[in-house]
Amino acid sequence: MFFYYFSAVPLPVGSVCLSVCPAEGRLVGENALRDRVCLSGCVPELRREVWKHLLGLYPRGSTAAERAALAQKWQSDYRTLRQQWQSMVPAQEARCGSWRCHRTAVDKDVRRTDRGHAFFSREGSAGLRALRNVLLTHVVYDRDLGYCQGMSDLAAPLLVVMRDEAEAFWAFAALMERLGCNFHTDLQGMTLQLGALRQLVQLVDPPLHAYLERRDCLSYYFAFRWLLILFKREFKFDEVLSLWEACWACRRTRHLHLYLAAAVLVHHRRVILSSDLDFDGLLRLSIALAGRLELQPLLETAEALVGYAGEAGREVTAGLP
Amino acid sequence: MAVELQATDSVIDFTIKILLLGDSGVGKTSLLTRFAHDSFDEKVASTIGVDFAVKKLSVYDKRVKLTVWDTAGQEKFRTLTSTFYRGAKGIILVYDVSRPDTLRHLEEQWMRELELYGTEADAVRMVVANKVDVGDARRVSWHEGSDFARRHGCLFVETSAKTNIAVANAFEELVLKILETPSLLEDAGAHSGTVRLDSLQSGYGVYDYCYC
Repeated sequence: MFFYYFSAVPLPVGSVCLSVCPAEGRLVGENALRDRVCLSGCVPELRREVWKHLLGLYPRGSTAAERAALAQKWQSDYRTLRQQWQSMVPAQEARCGSWRCHRTAVDKDVRRTDRGHAFFSREGSAGLRALRNVLLTHVVYDRDLGYCQGMSDLAAPLLVVMRDEAEAFWAFAALMERLGCNFHTDLQGMTLQLGALRQLVQLVDPPLHAYLERRDCLSYYFAFRWLLILFKREFKFDEVLSLWEACWACRRTRHLHLYLAAAVLVHHRRVILSSDLDFDGLLRLSIALAGRLELQPLLETAEALVGYAGEAGREVTAGLP
Repeated sequence: MAVELQATDSVIDFTIKILLLGDSGVGKTSLLTRFAHDSFDEKVASTIGVDFAVKKLSVYDKRVKLTVWDTAGQEKFRTLTSTFYRGAKGIILVYDVSRPDTLRHLEEQWMRELELYGTEADAVRMVVANKVDVGDARRVSWHEGSDFARRHGCLFVETSAKTNIAVANAFEELVLKILETPSLLEDAGAHSGTVRLDSLQSGYGVYDYCYC
């Protein structure tokens, strides 16, 4: 089902429409679309299509026919990949320790991911099966990366939005193209991210940085969960969807999530400074903030910080994957 | 949630940091939730990085505040979780009695991590055999577990976070042992390592936390 509007239809103020050129169905005004998503979020009915654009599943400038062909290819390629592990016989599994490790880890996490959400709440539901399939198929697709805790948190919302296993898989694969290095064994990607966050805070709030330096908190490990799973555990499920699409749509930086992390710290700078929090204290603060953060003011601050950090901010994030 | 007032803290004699270690899925978070909130949720999300809870106990006429750190079992997060060992006076090593590999990993991995990153030479260690409610699915006997604990100089308790068997006992026994170890109490005064907040305010509103 498609939700495209034709460009002749006027864009409602404050909401998002997908406008396509009637002749070939090319998306027109992608930049405007991104700005709108970033500014006011995406209405749920359009989310599925918009995310495929934002995550780069559809190439820029693709025609309606090309997208339709792609959608078919996603289905058949996904089935081929999924078949690779579904067709394993027990004797074969018994000879592949790394596969068994990943499968066990996926099974453990699928049982405890977003079970409060209707899509995953029922034991043995199609949602749980689909999440398992997507994650295990990705293990086969990217054996070097394998499965790591946190991935199920990233995949679950994609399934809820896409409502289709194959599409959710390709969306997850696209997301892992960006975030995969955060899950590598040496956590190299996370080290870079935390380092960049440290530099951003140094730019936008030097007194806070000086404080964190004095209290030996520059590892920024208290922000680990925020960055690893893009604030998935810090906000309510639907807010996470708005947060993610704002990050993906943002044209000023590919790293809005880092500015958002800086915004969380800036918003709580008073309590950090006045309570004389140490490393443990900051960790406890970051854990205590889960579920208590207000997304919209933080997004506004994050956007403002992008402007405030300016060129220096771009230099900080330039080397990031 | 109520605001933690400073007055409550003033009657605390000791603040003690406890660390939960062990493979992913053995029930570290469930033990903590059972102990701190007397609840159990089979569907509790995996721990990313670290989680924590606070529990106050009275032991030997002393008011003790435990800050219990619940670390992620995921192997890839080890670089991160190793930083949380600092200052831990009690270490709880958890395995799952239905998965023998989780006991083996205590020996092969977690004990080594502890040797490398633990900062308190006299920290009290306890091995907890969790999920004893599994019945026929049990694969590790009491003897295997207690043998392992004895060889490594650890206390040993069998628990079930699910059916609430011996969870509080385990923590209490650990605390008793810590209180009997003078070297561990030298810097464990009431407010060491604690955060006391009257309330937590953000730039745009007031939060009401139990943040202790």
